[in-house]
Amino acid sequence: MEILDSINLMIKPILHTINFELKKQRKKFVIFLIISIVILLLISLLPYALIPDTPLPDTQIEYFNGGVSFLPLTILFAACFFFSGIICSEFSEKTGYIIFPKINKYKLIVGKYFGNLILITTIIAINYLVLGLLGVFSYGELVDIRLYISFGITLFYILAISSFVTVFSSMLKSVNMTIVATILILLIGFNIVSSLTTLANPHLEPIYSLTYISNLIASVLNEVFPKIRYTEITQEDFTFRTWLTPTIGTGIIVLAIYTLSCFILAALLFKRKQI
Amino acid sequence: MSSIVIKLENLTKKFRNLTAVNNVNLEVHKGETVGLVGPNGAGKTTTIKLIAKLLRPTSGRILINTNHGVLQDLSEISRTITQMGFLIDIPAFYDMTAYQLLKFYAKLQNYPKDKIDNRINELLDLFKLLEWKNEKVKTFSKGMRQKLGIIQAIIHEPEIIILDEPQTGLDPKARINIRKYIRELQKQGKTIFVASHMLYEISEVCDKIALINYGSIIAFDTIDNLEIGLKTKELNCQLLDPIPLGNLGFLVDKLIEKLEPFLDQNLDPNISKIPVIYNAKNQGIKIFYDGTKNSRGQILKTLVKEFESDFTVISFTQPKTSQLERIYSQLITENNTQIKTNKRR
Repeated sequence: MEILDSINLMIKPILHTINFELKKQRKKFVIFLIISIVILLLISLLPYALIPDTPLPDTQIEYFNGGVSFLPLTILFAACFFFSGIICSEFSEKTGYIIFPKINKYKLIVGKYFGNLILITTIIAINYLVLGLLGVFSYGELVDIRLYISFGITLFYILAISSFVTVFSSMLKSVNMTIVATILILLIGFNIVSSLTTLANPHLEPIYSLTYISNLIASVLNEVFPKIRYTEITQEDFTFRTWLTPTIGTGIIVLAIYTLSCFILAALLFKRKQI
Repeated sequence: MSSIVIKLENLTKKFRNLTAVNNVNLEVHKGETVGLVGPNGAGKTTTIKLIAKLLRPTSGRILINTNHGVLQDLSEISRTITQMGFLIDIPAFYDMTAYQLLKFYAKLQNYPKDKIDNRINELLDLFKLLEWKNEKVKTFSKGMRQKLGIIQAIIHEPEIIILDEPQTGLDPKARINIRKYIRELQKQGKTIFVASHMLYEISEVCDKIALINYGSIIAFDTIDNLEIGLKTKELNCQLLDPIPLGNLGFLVDKLIEKLEPFLDQNLDPNISKIPVIYNAKNQGIKIFYDGTKNSRGQILKTLVKEFESDFTVISFTQPKTSQLERIYSQLITENNTQIKTNKRR
């Protein structure tokens, strides 16, 4: 009974924080949901519905491939906007003066993390649902199982990106700085580094790059996956290889490592930070 | 003697080369109201932040009487101590309604779920914020936020309440209400620790005062005990009618002559050049006396008997605030001089 009570005492503040976070971010959630659905419809419905003689892709899987192609970008922006303030805003906006004496910092970060995670996951799940329904109506067949696999990978990607942004939120001083820094690194930084390493060693797969791993979300919906994972151009002694996608196993392991290491690092930095 | 609820032992906090809190030792007993007074940058807020675990001490420790009634080192307590309530700095809130925020804070502090709504309504009503219950805090004025800051500190009915400048940004009526409420909390046996610049507010509600300067506690006692060490004591007499200007010189001389045995013989010329001053504006006489109870009685007797035909005394008081201001000013000046001398050496 005592164990149950202590578990209850430990979990309750986290649940209260999750609940509060869901209410706090409601407006942001609605805006992001609307924007992402509008983009999805623009990509997956409007061209076929409005432009005459535009043929649907040959297969449902190709249709899904086009539909999810923008999702890594949506996740990136959503994670930046939902998670950028998760730690630094408590310091920059001084809300920590009130909240820190009331709740253990680890519980606070876990609560806020899961609260925001639920919101982003819901946005993406609704996108997949809409895309799935569009696929069913357009092709008159059940949803291809690979869309579920893509959704599973997306969930891992959301976890990794969220933890990644949370680390920056614990290191930087303001929400805006966190947003700019994470967007720059995820959109440009990883691409530059992976291009350079591939130039230096074409066999070196850039599995450290979250941007590269995110290709998996759409790639699993590719007819040729996992047969073709890179393209190669060879001229005399020089070989240039463009890595297209990791394998599912590698992708999931890398995303899991990112998730855990970034989250632990963020929590430790948060615990040490003084207001 | 009642039990100790907060004990600061050799508490020190350094920020690189700056010592914000310097070897502070302090004990707060159950049911006491202690005021922490000092100039800007003296270390008041830092001390409170250390107690709230917002900062880690460089050395020394803070002992808190936990829910189990035992003094425990704060750094060894991993959970939050629900019997403490804090208001630190100017309160900043998430962009939510007052009700949503208070409900969240009450839940985090394990306040019984079925009582939360009543408690929120009761406090919002007390602080005249009930009609703002469902409004977002960003629409609140500074004073309203300050009130909400006080409410969040006491929402869970803590045993120890720690308030940093609770009167900041409040109008006089709200200040009176807060004073009243602090007295109400005192009656309930709560322990209160208040940091403030406002000496009047402190003198009105606190049992003891800790004077802090350059991070060190330079005095910690009751106002009465602190006064004992003070060279000059002051009495204020309010008169029914103003003294005619023609009689003023004669009357002041007569007052000095008749009250001479009880007056302060070593009056600091920085405070006043003469021991009896008449203030025409508020029809009052200020008397600097030797500070003994006997002299106070004799002065009153003399004023009533010897000056019956000259004026009528309608009140005879020893103002706490100006006493406190003087204690504050004297101790801080002495401490600053001592620090300067030590530096020169």
